[in-house]
Amino acid sequence: MARRRTHGYVLLPAAAAVLVLAATACGTGGGGGGDASDTDSLLVWIMQGTNPDETGFFEAANAAFTDETGVEVQVEFVPWQDAQNKISTAIAGGTVPDVVELGNTLTPGFADAGALHDLSGYGIETDRYIPGLMEMGQIEDGVYGVPWYASIRSIVYRSDLFEEHDLEVPRNWDELRETALALSEAEEDMIAFPVPGDAQYSIMPWIWGGGGEIAVQGSDGGWTSQMDTDEGRAGIEFFTDLALKDGTSTTGAVNWNEIDVMEAIADEEAAMAILGSANPKAILEANPDLEGRIDSFTLPGQDGGHMPSFAGGSLLSVFEGTGNEEAAWQYVQHLTGDEFSMRWAEETGFFPGAIEGVDEFSASADPILEPFAVQLGEASRGVPVTPAWTQVEAEKVLVGMQQDILNGEATVEEATESAADEIERILNGG
Amino acid sequence: MRTPVGLGTSSGPEQEVQRPSGPSPRRPGARRAPLLGMRGRRALLPWVLLTPALTVIGLLLLFPLGRIVWLSFREYRLRNLVSGESEFVGLDNYLTLLTDPYLWQVAMLNTVVFAAVAVLTTIVVGTLVALLLSTLNPVLRIFVVSCIMVAWAMPAVSGTYVWLWIFDVDSGVVAQALGSMGLVDPSGYNWFADRLFFYAIVTLNVVHGGFPFVAVTVLAGLLTVPRELHEAARIDGAGAWKRFWHVTFPVLRPVFAVVTVLSTIWDFKVFAQIYLMPGGDVGGSQMLNLGVWSYVRSFGHNDYGLGSAIAVLLTLLLLVVTVFYLRALFREDGLR
Repeated sequence: MARRRTHGYVLLPAAAAVLVLAATACGTGGGGGGDASDTDSLLVWIMQGTNPDETGFFEAANAAFTDETGVEVQVEFVPWQDAQNKISTAIAGGTVPDVVELGNTLTPGFADAGALHDLSGYGIETDRYIPGLMEMGQIEDGVYGVPWYASIRSIVYRSDLFEEHDLEVPRNWDELRETALALSEAEEDMIAFPVPGDAQYSIMPWIWGGGGEIAVQGSDGGWTSQMDTDEGRAGIEFFTDLALKDGTSTTGAVNWNEIDVMEAIADEEAAMAILGSANPKAILEANPDLEGRIDSFTLPGQDGGHMPSFAGGSLLSVFEGTGNEEAAWQYVQHLTGDEFSMRWAEETGFFPGAIEGVDEFSASADPILEPFAVQLGEASRGVPVTPAWTQVEAEKVLVGMQQDILNGEATVEEATESAADEIERILNGG
Repeated sequence: MRTPVGLGTSSGPEQEVQRPSGPSPRRPGARRAPLLGMRGRRALLPWVLLTPALTVIGLLLLFPLGRIVWLSFREYRLRNLVSGESEFVGLDNYLTLLTDPYLWQVAMLNTVVFAAVAVLTTIVVGTLVALLLSTLNPVLRIFVVSCIMVAWAMPAVSGTYVWLWIFDVDSGVVAQALGSMGLVDPSGYNWFADRLFFYAIVTLNVVHGGFPFVAVTVLAGLLTVPRELHEAARIDGAGAWKRFWHVTFPVLRPVFAVVTVLSTIWDFKVFAQIYLMPGGDVGGSQMLNLGVWSYVRSFGHNDYGLGSAIAVLLTLLLLVVTVFYLRALFREDGLR
């Protein structure tokens, strides 16, 4: 009796795993050869987080795919935060989906482990795609993912408040700080500029903005982090000081992730925030009253210009060993093809993964997305290209650093130093 | 040793199943030479009847347990997960684990201190509630028991989110109440960043979810304490405090043994209540206990070997604590 009772606590992850297994068991039938004609249904995992509602898009895309090939498609949505664990447990249970959307930072890790099907044999024109995304899907000659969409972060702000208080779009760090201070004074009940603790992609720009690098690879192949250099610290110090010294954030923001930040704007609690290009649409979906009252600007550079921002995005990958690789590849082509990648971009606000598509989409898109397009084209960066990076994210190294600083547990010097040590240890295979 | 009625049944499934195996329904066939003698059949039948249950337990419990032990002696990462092949590394994982200062300064400390505090609080609160319940009339008692059952029935995940909401740093009920009394700075205080506060919230959450079981079990025991003992003690001039320690507690010792052991096991293995809190899922944070660390190590770090070693350590720790407890509580001249 004693043992049975404990299950409620102990086996939670196992229970989650069992659920995943049960939920996916039906999707990976077939087995054997990779001939598309053997496949009658595909299971697809799509990530879910700050994007607008996607069900309508997939109904249309899947119906078109079924008409074309006769293969039924079942789409399941997986929250971003759980993605890595869910995929790992699915691999362990041998119940992986046929197609999976992987964040570009996650792709190398799973590709390197041998979980993904090599697509290089299908004749992909790799130079069609945004290089920063494509390189995350390539290991040596193998291609393990096709760029589906790109996502970039800039600043979304309340244009009505800026107008009301005669504020201009800031062009450098000092102006950003002054604007934030003016906003927090003018709108006492609002959070002028949240400094989130649990949103690593909002932290990265500041590392690059001061001239640092998260990690650089030396000629001997070893990685060195520059986060604990003066350049690396400058931006982190500026960003966290907005919260700690200038009070433009709120204490609770230490625990916020990107979804919380987005909700703060949607609930009219925050006046400006670092957000992704898909967020304005989701914000308006949540709060239609904000229509015409939000706008965006690129992240300002330290002394003007643009500060580099993290170019995220997703690749579509095919799992190895499902027996449905051929049909899965057709589905990847279907979603990344012109028609549906453009439609996806229009419905979400993400940019298409193909270079041509970005230009076409930017020309016709909502003006609110213009600064995001500039950011993507002129000031975007990626994370270190190595399979081990997955682990840096899984261990939340940057989040731990940011939270230690914001909580006053460590100074910027101490926190950046231990984060740099940790990153070097992981990337160098420690 | 006395065994309270409410508890006695759980220790004797074999007696239960033996009864129908008695000779009467089988009599007519007894003339043919049976494969087994009456005695043999009587000994075998319980096992035959238990086989389905044992098979299920073996598959669901023993196999994963064995697998964890096996994993803990292997270098097992994402790549091995995909290929299914792995390398035997002997005690490497255990050496890494035992020499890691994080184990001693954070994970072990959090686990043990939290469990001790939470178990004690759960038992005390549960017993007090049980004593209250035993004085109520049946109608009121059923009402109160139903109320506390709600706390018990609440799934850990939902419960944790409710507590998170109550303690939300900016707009939670607690922050607003303390703020309006001027007890915290208007800008708020991030209690989730403070190990003590963090675990205070976890303790509240876990005690809230755990005390109803203790209350109901102890109540079942309390109702079996002979009234004459209390009356005799009262005539001798014993107050409520003395009556509890000299009459109630000795009679209920086996009940307390069971609820303490069970609570200890639960509180050592608390997972969702920590993992879902801010900072509870960050590798290297000061807030992890052994269970969460094992999970983060396995699924965050993709180091399933070391993660399993942590799990094995936790299991061994629990076995030791449980054995120690049971011995202390059941010793003839046991501690008060």
